[in-house]
Amino acid sequence: MAWYSEGPLSRITGLVGGAIDDVLRVRRAWHWDTPRPHTWPEQGAVVPAEASDLGWARVEPVRSIRYLIQRVLLLPFTEAMVHPKVEGREWVRELERPVIFAANHSSHADTSLILHALTDSARDRTVVAAAADYWFKRPILGNIVSLFLNTFPFSRTGGAQAQLHSSSQLLKSGWNLVLFPEGSRSPDGRIQEFKPGIGFLAKETGTPVVPMHIQGAFQIMPRHQQIPLPGPIRVRIGKPMTPGPAEGSREFTARIENAVRTLSKEPRQLEFQGSWIERWQASKPREFRYEAD
Amino acid sequence: MPRPGAVIEVDRNTPPVLFHFGEGIRLEKMPLGARIVYPPDPLEPIAHPERAIKRALAKPLEDDPLKSLLRRGMKMTIAFDDLSLPLPPMAAPDVRQLVMEEVIDMAAEAGIDDLHIIAALGLHRRMTEDEVRHIVGERIFTTFHPDRLYQHDGEDLENNVYVGKTAQGEEVTLNRRAAESDLVIYVNLTLVPMDGGHKSMSTGLASFRSIRAHHNAKTLLASRSYMNPPDSALHQSCIRQGQLIEDTVRVFHIETTVNNHAFPAVANFMQKRETDWTPQDQAMFLATKQMTDIMPPAFKRNVFHAMRAPYGMTAVHAGQVDAVHDKTLEAVRKQINVPVEGQTDIVTLGVPYLGPYNINAPMNPILVVCMGLGYLFNFYRNKPVLRKGGVLILTHPCRYEFDAVQHPSYIDYYDEVLADTKDPIEIEKKYEIRFAEDPWFRQLYRKSHAYHGIHPHYAWIWAAHAMEHAGDIIFVGADRDVVHRLGFKCATTLDDAFEMAEQTVGRYPSVTHLRTPPIMLADVEA
Repeated sequence: MAWYSEGPLSRITGLVGGAIDDVLRVRRAWHWDTPRPHTWPEQGAVVPAEASDLGWARVEPVRSIRYLIQRVLLLPFTEAMVHPKVEGREWVRELERPVIFAANHSSHADTSLILHALTDSARDRTVVAAAADYWFKRPILGNIVSLFLNTFPFSRTGGAQAQLHSSSQLLKSGWNLVLFPEGSRSPDGRIQEFKPGIGFLAKETGTPVVPMHIQGAFQIMPRHQQIPLPGPIRVRIGKPMTPGPAEGSREFTARIENAVRTLSKEPRQLEFQGSWIERWQASKPREFRYEAD
Repeated sequence: MPRPGAVIEVDRNTPPVLFHFGEGIRLEKMPLGARIVYPPDPLEPIAHPERAIKRALAKPLEDDPLKSLLRRGMKMTIAFDDLSLPLPPMAAPDVRQLVMEEVIDMAAEAGIDDLHIIAALGLHRRMTEDEVRHIVGERIFTTFHPDRLYQHDGEDLENNVYVGKTAQGEEVTLNRRAAESDLVIYVNLTLVPMDGGHKSMSTGLASFRSIRAHHNAKTLLASRSYMNPPDSALHQSCIRQGQLIEDTVRVFHIETTVNNHAFPAVANFMQKRETDWTPQDQAMFLATKQMTDIMPPAFKRNVFHAMRAPYGMTAVHAGQVDAVHDKTLEAVRKQINVPVEGQTDIVTLGVPYLGPYNINAPMNPILVVCMGLGYLFNFYRNKPVLRKGGVLILTHPCRYEFDAVQHPSYIDYYDEVLADTKDPIEIEKKYEIRFAEDPWFRQLYRKSHAYHGIHPHYAWIWAAHAMEHAGDIIFVGADRDVVHRLGFKCATTLDDAFEMAEQTVGRYPSVTHLRTPPIMLADVEA
């Protein structure tokens, strides 16, 4: 038996010393207090370990808090800054089932403008797909944004099945979904090619897609600009589109893209905004609609 | 049961009477023996306006039910009166909105794809989007604006067509869209007997070329008064033009009337007779008076112009224009007629802050004349309340104040024309064409929110009959320079005005005060 014994004190000392050594080693290896060495290869895209769907943001009392935040801060601010002109609100007045809002994306202001364009009842039941690798890289930021805008993390880099699952769960629970099918903000304000995920999601879940076009957002807050400027904005909402039975998801995506592009043109686009009769009937107050039935 | 209008003789116990004074109010003691004419109380409104509208459309007067006139593939146009009616603007929903929603429902059911809605402005200013939205309601606005809901432009050469000449040589033009429609539905709101009937189409959807046929000094001087269509040369001319229009295009007329509930609850005291004022009304009067005395005019204007009248619909008729208008006039008279015995030497009138042409703008001096001498004086049947050669006393501050956006041509008219002459006929000869065809005024009328270049002349000649009839016209509390430019006299107080009037009508004159608004029509017996 050794003249010394490994008593509890020496064991603790050894553990602590080992831990300190480890920390120091790591620190030296990864250069905590100096810039990333230029000899190292480019950092890859970060995929969050486990994408939380931020369910807390969609339950009470958070919904009521968000309602107040939006009514008191977000919507008045949007109205004061850009006084958006909304066309086609009748298509989202009284949605009978969840829908996917598909809009062009050229600015961080787009989400606020879409929420502003929706009716109170539609807005209250709408979640916004936010890029997981951008908004949720810093969890605190992601949670704050979620509190304000009811966002949920949406991966742009893979895991299509997992995304489809979480998005379809939301749609099945009665939530509308805002998606920017271009994937990221347009660098020059022009509409980019739509990614096929939206068509796939709509096709798989049988959800109608409401095409939307936002005009002017790039001018008020383009990429790399942190503060929005006042300017004219027009949000045009098209009539809901459903995938045809024989239509593939890519064809449907192309159709959605065409609808959004057409909505960007002047004047009114009857094909996608509907004739006045369709719009008039869509805006009929619910009680009268039942009475007529 | 609402009380009819009343004529009260002033005795020692009669309380002082309310005078409107532009964006202010005054309480004045009338001389003993003077008469105060009060309008009738507001009639009970129709309990279910939507049902009444449906009924009117299903059983029109001397016409087929609207539903049977609608067919798929037809070209249909709805025209409606602009914001100059009613006054003050009606609290939402406006009756025109209710009527148009019913009509549009029917058109949608019939599958009429080609439907346009036109605000029948005539030569009035273009309304702002919010003003249009207020009249037609959110649902119609979002469905039709801007490509299918727009405002008539009387200076758009391409979109006005020449219809022809009446037997009296009056030229008639009409909005092209209306002229080329298979069916035009005119949705009108008649507040006073001057409105509605054939005048709706023949002024609302016409151009200067057409309107000048009856909007001229000669016609207006021959209208005694234009608030009583059978005695109005203006209306006879409109009827002739309207008949020509009816030969050109199929018109289905819908007319509504409202009661005279012109003031919201906060201004109840303005609606009530002074003898009915409760302590609460007295307190409200005092508070309002202090506010209007202290506050700058722009602030007061914003407060007053924000008021919306709780009018209630009293009648709706649809069908052939003459049949409909007869019924409409009957309903209007039921609300505003007050029998008055004989004429008087002096008539006093308080001119309020609002007339048909200054919604959301100050009432400039020409519009004060138009309102006081044009409209308020002409609210009579048979004979004016004022005897020929009598004195008309009006209260209004009458400041040199113009809205450069709405009334640009009024400024030139005041500064240049009225400095030259006040005679309506002479002005017409020298200046009519110049103002009507001024390219800058034309541009502002078409693209901004300005009244047509000729409009100040129409406002001025509207007063031609009163100016010819009255021996003297005195403004109380007005800006002296302005009143002199207008060609009238100025007094500091009402008592001074009575003193001055005695020089014209002699001592111990008979005095009548017309306590309006709310609107009334003095039915003067011989």
